[in-house]
Amino acid sequence: MRLHTGPIAWLVAVLMAVAVLAMPGRAFAHAALVATDPADGAVLEQSPARFSLTFSEPVSPLVLTLVRPDGSQLALTSFRLNDQTVEIDNPEVLKSGTHVLSWRVVSVDGHPVGGSALFSIGAPSAAPMAGEAPDWTLRAAIWAARLFLYAGLFLGVGGAFALALLAGDVRRGRRFVAAALLLGLVAAPVSLGLQGLDGLGAPLARFATPAVWKTALETSFVWTVLVGLIALGLALLSLAGPPGLRKLSASAALLCVGGVLAASGHASAAEPQWLTCPLVFLHGAAIAFWAGSLAPLGLALRREPAEAKVFLRRFSRAILPVVVVLAATGVVLAIIQVQVPAALVHTAYGRLLLLKLVLLLFLFTLAAVNRWTLTAPAQAGDTEVQRRLMRSIGIEVVIVLAIFGVAAGWRFTPPPRALAIAAAQPVSIHIHTLEAMADLSITPGHAGEVAASMVIMTGDFGSLDAKQVTLVLSKPDSGVEPIKRPARKPGDGTWRVDNLVIPLPGRWNARLDILVSDFEMVKIEAPIEIRSD
Amino acid sequence: MMKHLLAAGALCVLGTNAALAHITFETQEAPVGSTYKAVLRVPHGCEGKATTAVRVQIPEGVISVKPMPKPGWTLQIKKGKYEKSYQLYGETLTTGVKEVDWSGGNLPDEFYDEFVFRASLAADLPAGQMLYFPVVQECGDATDRWIEVPAPAQDEDALESPAPGIKLLPKK
Repeated sequence: MRLHTGPIAWLVAVLMAVAVLAMPGRAFAHAALVATDPADGAVLEQSPARFSLTFSEPVSPLVLTLVRPDGSQLALTSFRLNDQTVEIDNPEVLKSGTHVLSWRVVSVDGHPVGGSALFSIGAPSAAPMAGEAPDWTLRAAIWAARLFLYAGLFLGVGGAFALALLAGDVRRGRRFVAAALLLGLVAAPVSLGLQGLDGLGAPLARFATPAVWKTALETSFVWTVLVGLIALGLALLSLAGPPGLRKLSASAALLCVGGVLAASGHASAAEPQWLTCPLVFLHGAAIAFWAGSLAPLGLALRREPAEAKVFLRRFSRAILPVVVVLAATGVVLAIIQVQVPAALVHTAYGRLLLLKLVLLLFLFTLAAVNRWTLTAPAQAGDTEVQRRLMRSIGIEVVIVLAIFGVAAGWRFTPPPRALAIAAAQPVSIHIHTLEAMADLSITPGHAGEVAASMVIMTGDFGSLDAKQVTLVLSKPDSGVEPIKRPARKPGDGTWRVDNLVIPLPGRWNARLDILVSDFEMVKIEAPIEIRSD
Repeated sequence: MMKHLLAAGALCVLGTNAALAHITFETQEAPVGSTYKAVLRVPHGCEGKATTAVRVQIPEGVISVKPMPKPGWTLQIKKGKYEKSYQLYGETLTTGVKEVDWSGGNLPDEFYDEFVFRASLAADLPAGQMLYFPVVQECGDATDRWIEVPAPAQDEDALESPAPGIKLLPKK
């Protein structure tokens, strides 16, 4: 890459790196819901004054709706953010029956997540309909816009870079590159609008409404689009602008492509940020270099075989280190995201990665054949080989597009890393009676080996120095005998039961037998929902 | 016919067994304002272990308690203040026995024994209701607590370790 190591290029690189590292939005994963108040499935005697949702990381709410027992909806607009908890005011006195608190929030990785919690006033009634089926039209539109954006960024910006720094006097492929750039310039704002629609859970028809765009502008995806537009603009400038600026603006545009990927998305949101952000940056820039060079190179070989030799020589010299960077960053990011090999098969994210790997295998094979068997004779002027090389490059472009399509599909699949974080979240309940109250959390909150932690207080929030606490978990509908385990006191004010095994997921009844004095036992109980994974 | 008889018999046996498994009083009802001889029946140890101590908490309204000593067991009483004062034979009582402990004994799981005390049931105890005497049964380091009192409208049979109780009858 000695081609753009001039002082100005270095300055641009440093500025870009600083911009990427200073990018707002430290995120960990898709936010996962940790607790709700009222708890899911709770039966309350009175209408609550407020609701609260606690997540595994800070979120910003997009849509909060209460579905009444008759199916009518009430938009909840008054809420406060308190660290990872969203506190929502209840504007009306709820009538008896089952209500659904439906929520849709955006986590810091820019992806919206949604869900709902059921609770009842007085007694449960038939649950009103609140489920939302995925909007496949919208998903297809998001996927297509993402694919076009990738094409614009990698084929367009990468192509402009290849033309400016590798192609020498060859001018073939300019129209192709310009078309890709224009495609990207359209796809970028459309993607942003679709992100807003997805955030609100609104249909495609509402694309032009201000609320959609306002929502979109509040997500971290806006940074992706902004940096993307800068990259596309710089690439156009290098294509059509003054010759003196060509190399500089093309280099800056390529670095911006790295920044686009690092600005949002699963991989750049993963921990540790100091590692993943630069890796994503390098990965993106390397893709643009490789993918972008293919079309201009292929077209040049077809139209101006003689002039294309210099282009081919420069490309084949630079491509090896680029592919090494691409593969190395890709492998490290995949390991961070997938964590365990089994997740490759068991999760949608892992299966997409496998598909991408298969496509990559084809691509690398073709590229290796091109590099080591075709390049030398083609450079020597063998026209037959040049034609074969050209065809092979054409196939490479198609595979590259297929890989972009697979990568765009990741938009809809949380990575195993995020799933693991969600699975490790505890389930917590609060039990409150006149005699005593308790906070019980079971970590992780799914079936299998868990630990339970309890904080016991008197009914009026006073300290309760219990002599003994026993946790009894029962699931009468399962035929499993109640699990009765004495808790021990580790000395930090809590009571703990370790090495507890919950054999089945579902709704368990948790009872705490609190020995207040020698002859007085208080038993409090509440249902607790154990996840399946 | 035979089937019904068998079923009834089985139910009877099962029912008795369930009752036998708990610590109970021999006399299950008594009029308020009378003297009551409480005989606590201890049918077994704690999950197979020999009983080494039996402690009874005396509820409010049960006054002038006198436990019967038992050979091989150390008898202790704990006294305390009543919540209010009671009149008994022209005397005003404000303090008295709140807990009776028989300890240091050894009653193997295979054997049965009884622990006895005598007491006066205050005349103002609510007739028609149950009066419960929470009992802690100790077997070395194991403990069974017969201290559960049913909540209003709760069935006593639903409790795992119910406290023994008596039904209060109207004053004679």
